[in-house]
Order: sequence, then structure tokens, then C-alpha cells
Amino acid sequence: MAKYIIKRVIAAIITLFVLITVVFFLVRLMPGEPFTSAKLTEEVALNMEKYYGFDKPLYMQYFQYIGNLLHGNFGYSMFYTNKTVNYIIGQGFPFSADVGIRALMLAISFGIVFGILAAKNRGTKIDFFCVIVAILGTSIPDFIMGALLQYFFGIKWGLLPVAKYRGFEYTILPACALAFYTLASVSRIMRASMLEVVQQDYIKTAKAKGLSNFRITVKHQIRNAIMPVITMLGPTVASVLTGTFVIESIFAIPGMGKYYVESVTQNDYSMILGMTVFYGMFLVVCNLIVDILYGIVDPRVRIGGK
Amino acid sequence: MKKRLLSLLVAVSMSIGAMACGAYETEDTAADASTADTGSGSESSEKVFRYSDTVEPTTIDPSKANSIVDNELIHACQESLVRGTGGKVEPGIAESWELSEDGLTYTFHLRDTNWSDGQPVTADDFVYGLQRLLDPATASEYAFIGEYVKNGYEVETGEMEVSELGVRAEDDKTLVLELETPCAYFLSMVGTASQYVPIRKDIVESYGADFAATADKNVYSGPFKLVSTDNMMYVFEKNDQYWNKDAINLDRVEFSVISEPNTAVAMYENGELDFVKLPTDSVAQYDDIDSEFMNGNEDYLYINEESTNKIVSNKNFRKALNYGLNRNDYIALATNNVYSPSNTLVMPLVGGVSKSYGEEYTLDSYPLDGDIDVAKEYLEKAMSEEGYSDPSEIEIELTTTDLEASKKIAEVLQELWQNALGITVTIRQVTYADIYGSVLPNGDYQIAYGGWGPDYSDPYTYLELFKSDCSYNYSNYKNDEFDKLLEDSKTETDVKARMDMLNEAEKIILEDAAFVPLQCRQQHYLLNDKFTGVEFYFCSINIDWVYADVE
Repeated sequence: MAKYIIKRVIAAIITLFVLITVVFFLVRLMPGEPFTSAKLTEEVALNMEKYYGFDKPLYMQYFQYIGNLLHGNFGYSMFYTNKTVNYIIGQGFPFSADVGIRALMLAISFGIVFGILAAKNRGTKIDFFCVIVAILGTSIPDFIMGALLQYFFGIKWGLLPVAKYRGFEYTILPACALAFYTLASVSRIMRASMLEVVQQDYIKTAKAKGLSNFRITVKHQIRNAIMPVITMLGPTVASVLTGTFVIESIFAIPGMGKYYVESVTQNDYSMILGMTVFYGMFLVVCNLIVDILYGIVDPRVRIGGK
Repeated sequence: MKKRLLSLLVAVSMSIGAMACGAYETEDTAADASTADTGSGSESSEKVFRYSDTVEPTTIDPSKANSIVDNELIHACQESLVRGTGGKVEPGIAESWELSEDGLTYTFHLRDTNWSDGQPVTADDFVYGLQRLLDPATASEYAFIGEYVKNGYEVETGEMEVSELGVRAEDDKTLVLELETPCAYFLSMVGTASQYVPIRKDIVESYGADFAATADKNVYSGPFKLVSTDNMMYVFEKNDQYWNKDAINLDRVEFSVISEPNTAVAMYENGELDFVKLPTDSVAQYDDIDSEFMNGNEDYLYINEESTNKIVSNKNFRKALNYGLNRNDYIALATNNVYSPSNTLVMPLVGGVSKSYGEEYTLDSYPLDGDIDVAKEYLEKAMSEEGYSDPSEIEIELTTTDLEASKKIAEVLQELWQNALGITVTIRQVTYADIYGSVLPNGDYQIAYGGWGPDYSDPYTYLELFKSDCSYNYSNYKNDEFDKLLEDSKTETDVKARMDMLNEAEKIILEDAAFVPLQCRQQHYLLNDKFTGVEFYFCSINIDWVYADVE
């Protein structure tokens, strides 16, 4: 197991390094420059380029960036001058993660339950209901879902705050809106996977051994059927927890989502890099955890890993 | 079946539990509590103004400020030599001042007043503020606004030391500021430009590059002090060290960054905000209750005089474009009548001799409805000069950005011109970063959509766009007579004569049809009517709530 984990960690570090290098050089190929205000004079542009070290050769800038990164320093934003990328992430991430965790909890628990119920009651009204939820969830875009929830619960019925983050009640609508899509995909995958597991020989064996229906469902079916859900959780956790642009802007959550999108349109090199590296690290760590979870849930993976 | 229900219940209660515990709670609960109080009703005696904007301030460092929102926030928490409010200039930290005969040297006498930390504001703070603005090491995007000060340009380009900048402290309370050339609008600019406020050297040195990154990393000389900048919300409280604090009525102001405009409008309707800007597409919905102000932005089409497409640089063709455009139709189609059509270069609200420029000077320009006959005449002339026999042979390219609104504008223009003149207009879209980063500066376009927001209330801020040595002269326009008028206007000390020169210059540029004026932008907004004294302005600052009060 230890060997398996070490191998995974090394692979993760290499992935990150490649990601940083590729993004570092790719952003320089984007059209335009970071300093593109309509009022920028040539003299000022020169001073700014010097300030951010753009007058040095590119490879020097690269080594400098890697050096800073090893100290955990993402540098100063080129758009929000005076603010470091670390500061901006530090401000936004807790909010994104908070809403994200609530959404994930909702999505995973309800998604799995719906999936199981649907599979166990195949062809009945319960199955029908769960499938409808799954179809709606995957086909309604999150900005519509968010706007609908906001309109009915916030504006029309006045039950919950319209937007912003000032406490628990403010997180309910964004968490629900964010959870909906993930919930739908989890329940679809869970349902399909359960239906497949039910056909397996070891379920027949368990039945033949006279195990109770509950025991078979929990110990044999769910445990085996949950593998594909775990697989999809890695990337889902990373993307939900690091903030989503649409939901955060609809509900005015001061999270990280908007900086992803903004930094690209603003050509804010250090922010693009910082955001990408942060997201990359998060994704790599999530996938690592998923890999380790596999090993725990399914002994076959551990053996295969050797 | 029962057991299945049980497992469902367990899962549900788990997820609800997780939601209720919460992984994270907001830190400034004190701030939240007081907001909740005032949000629910008027039982609190505290006067709070809550508003929002879609754009986040880029910085609250006065030297580096470069957007309207930056300026608005700094205007509320820092005090300059003079304070500009809705176009009026009143004494600020300077109690009185004299201007020398030649119009070049200001001597400001400063009053006794303190920073929010109790230290006195001195003339040295102003000197340091300007030196820091122009110091190449600061790399301020707005450094050019300091070029009015003697040797400003030389310091900015590193040819001179910052100590050689034409500003010095005679003593703690006397500031002498020399100008490069006489400048009629200097004080009105100082009243709204955040780059001229005092800055404390010791604070900058102790925080270094983090100066003003958050509310606690600066001190404040203005009517309000910034107490929090966390979580996309800027919270101001009345500054009890401010010299004129009796004129200030609000106790607390909360500015939230809400990037989705419809969310902000919904919050306004729910009583969670007192002021919101309306997005242009929902203006019609609020026709009865909204108000509007001109935000100073003028939109133009730049025409490249050095374009490889010869017809574009032909003066008669440019006139045909201008006369061939029905600007009223354009406004209705492209902006749902939210903006107003423009046929001049200078926004009419900017300061003239004693009233606004627009009231004092009326220009004979292209009719707003266009004039097809005149346009066709010019087109004929242009075609014979450039060797075309039929309008359909003419193809011009219109460059615009990839924003939805800019795309729509280009499509409407394409349609209107193709119908009116029978020429072919193609559209090219580039990113916003690209248009100011390379397309316009490199002259890599034929006709391009752009615009201008004024830095000071004077026609010069718009006219300069076509001065041949100006770095914003994207159209490569060069007219010696025009240049000379602008150059002479700088040394002309008679206000009326100077304004006449500028008006003359604008006539020349319209006669040359060097560009296509499109529209003046109006900002529609909703303001809770219990607030009075909120000022709107078109230059450097849009909303000014410094003197606002609750009825």
C-alpha cells in the first residue's frame, strides 16, 4: 500500500510541474498584454513591464516564478495591483469551499440514495421520479436553476436571502443550485452501477447463503456499485470546492469563481497561473485521495497496483 | 422496506447536519449584525448607505488607482487639496491658495487636520504622494496624470530624479506646486483625481508592496475611513478626525461588489441595497422609477488615416460614413434608446467658460437622422478620387471587441451603412485586451470601435485624442492647424479665448470627419428615495455619497 501511495504522489508532482510549465508559456501566447488600459501611455507601459520583470528573458522569468512557487508565493496580481494572488485565493477559497462542501454533501447523499432507490424499485413510480430528477438536473443549466431558486425562494416568497454571504441561511440556495447537477449525475451513475451489480454472481451467492436483503444491499451491492461514483468524485470535488463562476455571481458569494474567468479576459498572468496551479494542486490531491480510497474500498485495485 | 427507509433517513440527516454545522463562518460578525439591524427597518439611528457595483476596485492605493470605482472609493476616504463635488470645487485640506501671474505656480496654505491615526497632515505628505505617483519604480498605470506638474514627464521616464519634481513643502503647512504649462482645469482635476491626494511615507515604507492592499494597511485623511475590504465588501465609517466632519451625515457605508447586475437589482427590490445601477437591458422594466446620469463615456469609431485600405483614409468617404449614418436609428437598434446619440467629439456637459461647454457652444455637425443625399454626394466624390465605379466594390472592415454589446453595435452599423450607402462592411472581432494592447496602438485596423472617459472636466480631454503627438491618437490623425490650436490653448490664460480655440479645434476635426461619433452613455439607476445629497458626476467619479443624508 505504501509503495502504491508513493508512486501516486510522485506521479502527482510530475503532473503539476508539467501543468505549471505549459500554462506559464501558454499565457504568454495569448493575444494582448496584461497592461491594456485604454489610457496607458508607452512610458507607463515600460515602467510597468520593468516592475513585473517582463524586461528579463522569458526563461529567467520562468525560473524566478518556479523559485517563488517553491516558497508558496504566487506573486502580485497584475490587475488588482497591491494584492497578492495568495491573498485573493485566501479570501475567496473559504467561501467557495464552504458552499461547495454543503453542495457536495447534498449531492452525494441524495444522489446515492436516489440511485439506490431507483435501482431497487426499477420500473416503479419511485424509479420514474428519480430518473426525472436526474434528467432535469443534467439538462437545466446551473444559471437557470440558480435564478429560479433565487426568484421563488428569495424574491417571490421571501423565505431566504436573495444573495451575499452573511450566515447559514445565505448558503442554502447556492448550495442547492450547485448541488443539483452533481446530484443528478451521481444518482444516474449509482442507478446504472447498482443495476449491473445486481446481476453479478456473488449477489446470487449471497442470496443463496440466506443473507438478509438489507445486508446484501449494503454490504455487497452498494459497496461494489459505489466505485464509479468515487471515480467521478475526484474532479467533481475539485471543481465544486474551488468555486463556480455562475453560481457565485448569481448569489454574490465572494468566492474564487469570478477570478478564474476574469483573469483570462484581463490577461492577468500571475492570477491565471496562480488559479490554474491552485486548481491543479487541488485536482491532483483529490485524485490522489480517490486512488487511495479505491485501494481501501476495492482490494483488487491494490493488487493491480503492485 | 423499513430498513431501506432507515438508511435514507440516516443519509438525509447526515447531509442536513453537515449543512447546519458549517465548515466556515464569516469572521466579522459584528459588522454583519449591524447590517442586519439597519436592513430590517429604521429603528436603528445609525445612518447607513448600502450600494453595489458590478466591477471590483482594482486597488485603493491612490497612486495606482485607475478605474472609476477606485476613484470613487478613494474620493470618500482621502482628502485632496481641494474637494470636487458634482463639478463644484471647494477647499479641502488647502484652506486657501494663490496662483502666480504666469499661471504656473500654485501656493497652497494647508489647514490643521489629522490622519485617521491622529498624525497631522503635512505638506510633505502631498509632496510624497506626487513623487510616488511619478516614480518609475511605483509603475502606476495612471502616472501620466501627474505630467501636469513641472518635470513630471522627465521623472516618469527616469530622466530626472523624483526630487526634481516641481512640488515642494515650504514648511509643514505650505505647499508650492509648479506646473509644466498653465492649466485652466487643474484644480477641478485635483478635486476628483485620486492620484493627487496626500500619502504617508512611513505607512508606505512599513507595508511596501502591500500598501493599501487591505483597509488596515493605510491611514485616511478623508470624510470616511475604510474599516474593511474583506470578502468583496468595502465598509466605510465616518472619520472623526476629518476637518469638516460636521458636514458629513452618514455613519457607515457598505459597498458590495456584485458582478451579476440582476442579482443587485433583486437585492435592491428586497431592500438589501439602497442604490444599484441598472443593466441596459432591464432599463425598460423600471421606466417609471429609475433615474439616469451621464457617466462621461463617449463612444466613437476610430478611423485609421494610415490604413492600407485607401478608401478609408479618404476624407470624402469618411464624410459619407458620417452623413450616411442615422444615429437615431442606431441608438434605437443598438442600445434600446438607453444611450443618447452624439454627433460631436466633446461631451457637452464638460466645463466651458462659466457654464457647460455644450450650453455655450453649439456645433453645426452631422444631422442625427443622417442625410443620405449629402452622404451619396461625398461617396461619389470619394469613388472618383480613389478609382471606384460602383459602391458595391467598396469593402471596409469594422473591428470591435468580443463583448456581446460591442458585437451588436458593429452589426447594427454594418446593416445601416450597407443599406444607406450600398457598400460592404465586414466585422472583425478581437478580445478586449487585444484592442487596446495591439490593434489600436499598432494601427492594425481600418475602422475600430472605441471610446473615451474624461479625466477632467474640460474639452481638452477629448480633443487630445486627435493631437498628433498624443499617445492615444490611435487614428494617426495629423492636422497642423488643429495641433497648433491645442498647443496655443495651453498657454492662453484668458479663459474665453482659450475655450474659443478649443471650439475651433473641434470644428476642424468634425470638418475633417476624422472619426465617427456614436453615443453618450447614460447610466440608469435606482436610488432609495429616503437618501438625499447623493451626487452624480461624469468625470473620474460617477457616484459621490460623501455628503449624502437620510431623510
